[in-house]
Amino acid sequence: MIEEKIIKKNRLNAMLQELSKEYSIYIPAGENGDFRFCELRDTNDELVFWDYRNTRISPKEILFPHSEILYEFSRDESHQFSISQNNDDQRKMKNVILGIRPCDARAIGFLDRVFIGEPNERFVDPYYLKRRIHTIIISLACNRPQISCFCTSLNGRPDGEEGADIIAFDIGEEILLKTVTEKGKEFIKESSKWLGNVKKSDIDKKNKIFKESAKRINSRVSVEKVKEKLDDSFEADFWNEIHRKCLGCGICTFLCSTCHCFDITDETSADRGKRIKCWDSCMYPLFTLHASGHNPRPNYKERMRQRIMHKFNYCPENFKELFCVGCGRCIRNCPVNLDIREVINQVSQLK
Amino acid sequence: MINPYLPLPVKVQKITIENETKDLKTFDLEFCDKNDAEWFKYTCGQFAELSLLGIGEVPIGIASSPMDNRILQFTVKRYPIGVVSSTLHNLSEGDTIGIRGPFGNGFPMKDFEGSNLAIIGGGFALTTLRSLTKYIIHEKNRSRFGEITIMVAARDPGEMLYKYDLEEWSKREDIKLIRTIDREVDGWTGKVGFAAPVLKEISPSSGNAYAIVCGPPIMIKTCIAVLLELGFKASQIFNSLEMRMKCGIGKCGRCNIGSKYVCKDGPVFSYTQLEKLPQEY
Ligand code: SF4
Ligand code: FES
Repeated sequence: MIEEKIIKKNRLNAMLQELSKEYSIYIPAGENGDFRFCELRDTNDELVFWDYRNTRISPKEILFPHSEILYEFSRDESHQFSISQNNDDQRKMKNVILGIRPCDARAIGFLDRVFIGEPNERFVDPYYLKRRIHTIIISLACNRPQISCFCTSLNGRPDGEEGADIIAFDIGEEILLKTVTEKGKEFIKESSKWLGNVKKSDIDKKNKIFKESAKRINSRVSVEKVKEKLDDSFEADFWNEIHRKCLGCGICTFLCSTCHCFDITDETSADRGKRIKCWDSCMYPLFTLHASGHNPRPNYKERMRQRIMHKFNYCPENFKELFCVGCGRCIRNCPVNLDIREVINQVSQLK
Repeated sequence: MINPYLPLPVKVQKITIENETKDLKTFDLEFCDKNDAEWFKYTCGQFAELSLLGIGEVPIGIASSPMDNRILQFTVKRYPIGVVSSTLHNLSEGDTIGIRGPFGNGFPMKDFEGSNLAIIGGGFALTTLRSLTKYIIHEKNRSRFGEITIMVAARDPGEMLYKYDLEEWSKREDIKLIRTIDREVDGWTGKVGFAAPVLKEISPSSGNAYAIVCGPPIMIKTCIAVLLELGFKASQIFNSLEMRMKCGIGKCGRCNIGSKYVCKDGPVFSYTQLEKLPQEY
């Protein structure tokens, strides 16, 4: 059974402050439109992110950090190495991510497929899993989508629930919380003393706002044929043109909420060091360079093709899902305005 | 839960220089902890990441046979720009390194059983084919496989890998071993010529058979053409591929060819599968 509860905006901080004894709570923080997920600070100030559009860096960084220590090692006098696993127990074990946009919540569901996989998966990423199972995702439905948002073309909605445990709706003075998963229900139960019951008028208000907001998304691309078109387009001339203005900076992949490629590198000093897992990008030439000097993707062309193919053909093949949620980050931040919507539209029109 | 990123410690028992150029060395590794050895069960054609703390990791096909428990063998080529392979080459016997794995699918051994096998290896790509051969010719396994033809191609005699094994195999009645080098050399008793024409000359029969080809891309290409001519179907031809890798477990996203990850869906692919994949390797 779905549960719906209500809380006054000006009471929310008090509730979170109390919960923060047990949870690390992440909220969007920032100013002048430049937001990023940060841990809730110990303050009495009212939460003010309700009107924020979206963060520049995707909240994937909470579960899949830009760089994280896999383990540390040291060498003793006899040159023997010993490994110690970094257990981040200084941090609280449980997380709440509050205010994540529905598109990004969906994207976390996709990352789950990669890092955790099916129940019988041979290898699971234990670092991701450990964070993920202890994380509650409370998404915030979008009252005012941006012009670069195109989630509705990709099975998303400004009030979409996929990937969230609870979805929050800003209905003015109050926030309406709707449970999506069992985990969400548990959380609501734990916090019940802060929450009130919804009235019919609250629901009406919510429905009205979010009917409007879906209509505000005017940017549409047609993705229906993309996977199929790409099946036969690996050698198409299209790739010779589409990459031309790309600088290969990799911003699009770093900020993308579904991109998940990483590198493993070592950092050392004298007799100790760390092995680190950090974001990497298919847009970089070193990504696939073999030790022999051979590189299967030596040029911008092949790398751009990989990025598009991975999202719109390989992932659909492997996970039955287009790995794009329409958040628009790559469109807003690409230094040369390479617009993925145009790429998708062009692919759809390939002969 | 196992942590697939964590290397297990192994001791370098022995280092064998394989070729005259001295850029190929075989490392015999033994697990420091008996339980790890027990846990690390692999099949022919799988690979592992050799892990040097502070330097990095390199994926290498397992050259030993699953039948020789205790010792794992890896043949590593040193590349001038390969920091890990160069450091490995500077190791001494008795040093400790790390290992992660076993990874990848390996050869479809169940399918191979009951069939004749043509094993074709060129240059330094003989590694997992050696594992395969050693496994098949083991007294406990030999009767489950049909006729075995092994063809080994190298630039010149000094570059031929596993000379000690080849010597032993050449004496066996139940293996047809053909060795070929690119150009005539004094005292050479094997064949002379590139892999593909020699393969054509020996014409292994495609009836109830599988062919497994590993080697430099050009050799794979030309040998597959010959095999198809000889009547092998695409589904009877197998390949093992190489790609730049990091995680080895299908997560880091770098070793793909089309929608397949070489580390997870490969490294062994049938030619039927390869035909469907883009030519990006
Ligand atoms: S952000 Fe733009 S310029 Fe940078 S790699 Fe992506 S497409 Fe190329
Ligand atoms: S090596 Fe990481 S995906 Fe294959």
